[in-house]
Amino acid sequence: MLPNKQLYQQINGSTRWKYGVPMRRNSAITPVLCACLLFLLVVLGSRSGVAAAPDPTEQLRPFLAKVTAALSDPGLKRMTKQQQCDRMIGVIRERFDFQEMSKRVLGQQWRNLADKEQQEFELLFTQLLQYAYVGKVDDYSGQQVQFIQQRIRGDRAEVQTQLVDRNKSIPISYIMLLRNDQWMVYDVVAEGVSLVRNYMEQFSEILRKDGYPGLVKQLKGKIAELEKNFNKS
Amino acid sequence: MATAHMNMAGRLARLCLALAMAAAILSGRGAVAADFGGDVISERLFGTVDFLSDESYEQPTSNTKVADPIEPFNRAMFVVNDKFYIWVLDPVATGYSKVLPADIRMCIGNFFYNLGEPVRSVNCLLQGRFRDAGRTLGRFVINSIVGVFGLADPAGNEFSIAPRYASFGQTLWAWGIGDGFYLVVPLIGPSTLRDFPGAVVDGVAAATYTPPWSDNLYTAIAVQGLKTVNRVSLHLGEYQRVQAMSVDPYVAFRNGYYQMRNKQYERSDAAK
Repeated sequence: MLPNKQLYQQINGSTRWKYGVPMRRNSAITPVLCACLLFLLVVLGSRSGVAAAPDPTEQLRPFLAKVTAALSDPGLKRMTKQQQCDRMIGVIRERFDFQEMSKRVLGQQWRNLADKEQQEFELLFTQLLQYAYVGKVDDYSGQQVQFIQQRIRGDRAEVQTQLVDRNKSIPISYIMLLRNDQWMVYDVVAEGVSLVRNYMEQFSEILRKDGYPGLVKQLKGKIAELEKNFNKS
Repeated sequence: MATAHMNMAGRLARLCLALAMAAAILSGRGAVAADFGGDVISERLFGTVDFLSDESYEQPTSNTKVADPIEPFNRAMFVVNDKFYIWVLDPVATGYSKVLPADIRMCIGNFFYNLGEPVRSVNCLLQGRFRDAGRTLGRFVINSIVGVFGLADPAGNEFSIAPRYASFGQTLWAWGIGDGFYLVVPLIGPSTLRDFPGAVVDGVAAATYTPPWSDNLYTAIAVQGLKTVNRVSLHLGEYQRVQAMSVDPYVAFRNGYYQMRNKQYERSDAAK
């Protein structure tokens, strides 16, 4: 919305121009114009989802509080391993976008997969994460989450936190995507190591050597192994 | 009598050395990077990783992936280190952790970290990070005196001078020397053709001002062993956890090492 010279001249009368920019004169119409412009900005801004977007930290905070509350719930310890797992994944799903994660972890390969294969991969990858992380409820010993800062660019955001223990604090960043007013996590960066990029390199080598069927086979094998150890422990 | 005594000391020293080395390698994630205090690197070589841009999630390129032409050798060494960790280092560190409470082990860790500060300070100077060089030296003076030989970290806790990462590998990086390629060093762990010699230089430099230990090879090895066992004891179970959740642990550790080191380099570079 660059100022239109003619329009300006019509409205403001004899506005003088210098270096192509109107030299403003106080006139009754200027505040009205400003108000219109402001209104337009707000309307346009909210439509593109930037100006009116919810705050990522404010959405992540109650979510992480819920996760830590679920982890320290004494009832959780009385459940069977499988119930614990299902309970935790239910809480996590609220703000983790496993489809977006699966998509990014395969990179360009994702587009080469049929819809059915994409769904299959998403299911397997979610299961892998479920057993590898979500099932580790015993590892939780009252660590607290501190929020450090956040960065927003367009519909992406990074919220930096510290997981604080008596002995150490681990920096953890949540990488999020804005979806229908909800910031959804699609990557977790612990001590500078991105979970998605780490799995991406593992998977891309398997895909290169054995193709998609090979990857599915390896994933299934890994999940079976984790499941076995999981139910044993 | 004296000979027997020395033999035993020698054996003990050898054991400790081996342990130390294994520990260094195995702790893979935290240990490797933390041990040698690797530091700043620039965008020139790594490309800055910005998690908010989609490019970070494209297929790994030469900027985000380390070259690995000797993968068969590296994979073999990875297995050696894995066995060493599981069979030797982890049991020893577990026993050690039962004898000494975590607070004391953390003090021992602080003590060793403090001894490395002068080397870190010099590396900062060589990289042109003059403020970091001063801060690191300040930490050394404060922690050595107020922190009782570096057992505590009053510089960080009371004076808010956070530790700075710096290593000779990083200095070489700052001078424009590339990684070469990925290298899994037996008993030491993930490194690169540039960073491993860098770590050796840091170690030799530190030995010049820690006299009683550097006189005798066995003693030096024993000290290194203690340092490693102590560090591993503070990170028990982490190695196994990364192993368990990885589909290809070798690639997982290679990628993790590279990502973590790049982050350290970038962070210290940004602080310049």
